[in-house]
This record gives sequence, C-alpha cells and structure tokens, in this order.
Amino acid sequence: MLIERLVIGDSAAKELLYDRYAGALYNITLQLVPVKERANEVVVKVFHWSFLHIGTFRTSGHRTLFTWLLRKTREFAIKEALPETALTGTELMKQEEGILQQFYLILPADQQQVFRLSYFKGLSITTIARLLALPEAQINEILKEAMKSFRQFLKKTWN
Amino acid sequence: MELKFYIESGIIESFVLGLATEEEVEELQHMRRLYPELDTEVEFVERRLERAAFDEPAMPPVEIRERVLQKIRWEEGHGHSDPSSNYTFINIQPKDGNHILVHRWWKIFFIIFFIMSKVFLFLAIFYYLKYRMSQEQQRSDNLHQMIRQEQTQSPLL
Repeated sequence: MLIERLVIGDSAAKELLYDRYAGALYNITLQLVPVKERANEVVVKVFHWSFLHIGTFRTSGHRTLFTWLLRKTREFAIKEALPETALTGTELMKQEEGILQQFYLILPADQQQVFRLSYFKGLSITTIARLLALPEAQINEILKEAMKSFRQFLKKTWN
Repeated sequence: MELKFYIESGIIESFVLGLATEEEVEELQHMRRLYPELDTEVEFVERRLERAAFDEPAMPPVEIRERVLQKIRWEEGHGHSDPSSNYTFINIQPKDGNHILVHRWWKIFFIIFFIMSKVFLFLAIFYYLKYRMSQEQQRSDNLHQMIRQEQTQSPLL
C-alpha cells in the first residue's frame, strides 16, 4: 500500500504520490494563490513536507492522503498568498474554474464573505468578527451554514 | 437521529477543509471513537472532495516535478547509495594537468605548517640576537679585563 511504502521511504512511492496528487492539488493551489510562481512554490513545499511527515498521516484523523495533503496545501498557500491589492488581474485565470470557487459563487453574500475570509484568507473567527463588526457567535453560525451548503454541494455534484 | 443531525451539521466538511476549531476537532475525534460509522462518513466526504478535485486537475510545470524529485534523489544520495539513481555526475575538474586534487586534511596541515614556520622564524631571530648580545657582552668583558690588567701592570713599570 502507498502509505506503508511512503513510511519506509520508498522513492518510487514518493514519485507515485506526486504523480497521483500534484494535478488536483495544483488546481486548488491556483484557487488559493492565483500567482503561478507562488503556487509552484506551494506545491514543492507540500510534497517536501509530506515526505518528511508521512508518519503523522495515521494520527491526523484523515482517511485519504489527498485531504491530508490538501489541508497542508491550504496552510502553505495562505502563507504564500499576496494581498489582493498586489494582484494585477492577469493571474486570476484559474479562480472561477475550481471546485472551491464554484462552491463559493453559489453561496449567499454573507456566507460568501465569511467563507472567503476563513478558507481563502485563513482568518480566525475572532478576526473575521472584528473585521465585519459582528458578534463571533453570528460568524460561527454563518460559517456553519456555509459548511452545510458545502456538504450539499459535494453530495449533489460528486456523490 | 442525533448522529445524523451531527453529520448534517457540516462538521465533517469543516474538519476536512481545516476550518474546524480545536474544540470541534476534539469533539469529532471523540464522536468517532464512540461511533465508528463516523469514520466511514469522513471517508465519504474526503472521497467526494477528492473526486471533485480530480475532475479538473491542472498539472504543475515539469520543472516542479523535477524539483520535488531532485530532493528525493539528494536524500537518497546522502542516505544510501542507489545504483539505479539517474543522477548525472558533472566533473568540473580542469583537465590541463596543472591541477591536483588533495584531501581536505592538507589544508589544516598547511595552516599548521605555516604557523609553526613563523614561530620557528621568530625563535631563530630571537636566539640569534640573544647570541649576538652575549657575544658582544663577552667581547666587552674581555676588553675590560685586558684594560684592567694593563692598568695593574703599568704602575710597576
């Protein structure tokens, strides 16, 4: 099995991991970091990290390698992301094509705003509440509603 | 019924996307221990997300693959040697016959040799000057002795 081979440091398994997941992860990375050079850096960092920390997969609570890698991809992407004012517009080609962007676009305005700040920007509930001048409990509720919508979105489209 | 409500709350999706708080993650893990069927539900959600992402993959540039694999090869080269590794060894040694390759210990040897030669040079100059001074001293002592002898002999004359 791939995980066992990765744990023992099998280099062919590492190549297989890259070949299997790089495309899907890169697609999501481009939705988070629409600048290609930075998205490239994120992918390199994620795979280097995964080779070193594959032993933590079993205790991560994830059942698939993809979502384990996706979680780390988002963490690195948030660190690599440029402020929106620094974007020129030409880099945003991938933004409306990805699954997360598709989901984002079907949300009501309040959920869109909270989901964007939470998922794409990596802001905490407290920070979002302060930014939007709303109580934390309300932000929590909005995010929960967004997650319910995400569940329905996934079930409807990829069940 | 309660479990269904818990699942429908979107907590699993929140965990999978990395948006759940620490408390929510702990609660989910606790619930997973109590209700192992939750594990199946987590897997369903993860598989759905995986399928969605795989629906439209965008392969990174080839050089990114090379960079990732280069790291693996480098680690291999430093961990254990693999004869199947396709590393290309580039010899940048000039082939004009005027250069030689020596072990790094020679560098330390030459530094020590250089310092020691300076110390010996200093000692040689120091003892030479000391020798010169003692010779001078001896010569002047002899001269004084001769003068004193001459002085003691001259009243008798």
